[in-house]
Amino acid sequence: METIIKEKIAEVKSQRDAGWKILILLSTLILIFILSFALGRYPVPPGQLLEVLASRVFPLEAHWNATVETVIFQVRLPRIFAAILVGAALSTAGAAYQGMFKNPLVSPDILGASAGAGFGAALAIYFSFSMLGIQLMAFVGGLLAVGLTYGISLRIRHDPMLALVLSGIMIGSLFSAAISCIKYIADPYDKLPAITFWLMGSLASITSRDVYMVLTPILFGCILLYLLRWRLNVLAMGEEEARVLGINTGVMKTIVIICCTLMTAAAVSISGMIGWVGLVIPHLARMIVGPNYRVLLPASILLGGAYLLLVDDLARLLASMEIPLGILTALIGVPFFLYLLLNSKWGWK
Amino acid sequence: MELEFRNLSCGYGQRRVVDSISLRLKVGEVVGLLGANGCGKTTLIKTILGLLPVQGGEILLDGKNIKNWTSAQIARVIGYIPQMHTPPFPFEVLDVVLMGRTAHIKPFSSPSPQDVKIAERALDMLNISYLRDRVYTEISGGERQLVLIARALAQEPRILIMDEPTASLDFGNQIKVLSHVKQLAGMNIAVLMSCHFPEHAFIYSNRAVLLNEGKILHSGTPGETITAERLKTLYGIDVDIVTVKNRMNQELRVCIPSRNFTLQPMQSMERRNEYAFA
Repeated sequence: METIIKEKIAEVKSQRDAGWKILILLSTLILIFILSFALGRYPVPPGQLLEVLASRVFPLEAHWNATVETVIFQVRLPRIFAAILVGAALSTAGAAYQGMFKNPLVSPDILGASAGAGFGAALAIYFSFSMLGIQLMAFVGGLLAVGLTYGISLRIRHDPMLALVLSGIMIGSLFSAAISCIKYIADPYDKLPAITFWLMGSLASITSRDVYMVLTPILFGCILLYLLRWRLNVLAMGEEEARVLGINTGVMKTIVIICCTLMTAAAVSISGMIGWVGLVIPHLARMIVGPNYRVLLPASILLGGAYLLLVDDLARLLASMEIPLGILTALIGVPFFLYLLLNSKWGWK
Repeated sequence: MELEFRNLSCGYGQRRVVDSISLRLKVGEVVGLLGANGCGKTTLIKTILGLLPVQGGEILLDGKNIKNWTSAQIARVIGYIPQMHTPPFPFEVLDVVLMGRTAHIKPFSSPSPQDVKIAERALDMLNISYLRDRVYTEISGGERQLVLIARALAQEPRILIMDEPTASLDFGNQIKVLSHVKQLAGMNIAVLMSCHFPEHAFIYSNRAVLLNEGKILHSGTPGETITAERLKTLYGIDVDIVTVKNRMNQELRVCIPSRNFTLQPMQSMERRNEYAFA
């Protein structure tokens, strides 16, 4: 009897622990969200922010400058939402890719998905496509790249973990070369700067239309992956084992690849190529909440969103000129990942 | 429940590894599958599990061909215990055992409290409830193998397939893991176990099947099937089978290699050349 009670307490405790951790991550995200308004060339203090936001719902008398509203709704809000969405998308895609390939070393950038999506988007910018066109092209490019990477890795008969990383690097550099090719032939006064700045990763010129455009694919990916959370756990034990445990791995892998690539492509199409987020954040999340996708996915979403929002704030604040996001995420991500590699008891064995 | 192979052939791609074998497996039976490396044990097991396509013949469950069954349908009847392995992610033991419930859980759902109860019962049955909240990658190899058995039990299968479940376990853990195999047969499960050591088949199985170059050499009770002569055919070495008594006064059969083990110095090249020209 006593043992049963002890077990029950342990069970409730572990569930509550996970709940607490998610709650703390959520509060962190909200805190950085409020902070992001207060920072920058035109700071909006939290009190004023609340008033302005409330005025949209309740009939309040506007005793503030009209500029404040413009800053909040035209500049800060779209950018903040974009940062959260892009961070969440890349981290969730990374977490799901890692489980699906049973490989803790993969991420959208290492699998070539980012480069593929970047190529598609660059091509679309070159041909002056609409935002929807850019997204579609990014998706097709990303899917092509991941498909090639996965296909090639299956034909390399060595260590499958290494094979996947190596073929990802190959396909990634192939698509990077293709991007360079587009840059080379692009109009140097108009298209070339657009492609170059977009590739370095930046959220400086985000509009609310951009945010609306990527909201659907990113939400769709997150929700579908969350629904499949248990099957992702089983898939992380390896393909053969997942099949023997009753999962149709062919269908499952296709769904996961499509979801992850869709989210990556949506992120890349508005923010350019932002590296390392999809590799580092899932590991950090796994360190905090463990490998069970039931909590790992929400943790990756919250942590990824908070992280990229913070990095974007730094990009705005650190210098008189904006620093491209891709540079900052690499500067932070690489040392952190090295630390993980050297202390590999975290995250994986 | 009865598993039957009728003229079953299997292999990789065009290559045939197992050639037209027939076998029946009933609930309550432990069948030990013996054979040299590369004789087709693993190929046969992978084919039963649906990981490799059937090349010829059929696999029947209660007389029904399982050719077009989905992996979930198969998993609800056939459980599998792989060789010891280390997954890259540090799942908790309870989560690993709960994975056995996957075939019973709807695609978009997670395990229910009912599933947790079944998983806990499986852990309890193997006396490893204390591992429940431990991290799977941090427990010992023997414990991990017991967790995999618990996972297969949580699957509630009627047929359990083990591919050398004691490979890469130390001496003590081998015996600990195998002691549970007979217990499984008592739970109305049919067990098919490939094993490395003929002794294991003597102790833990009701029936031994000898697989030689993709064909069944002999099948029957371990005592009459496993003979020195057949082991010579299977493994290419001379073996003596002797009966000994353990401290509990139980008779056990053990296989000992018949070979001169005194160290023979290797002949040097010159000496051999001398002989050649003599």
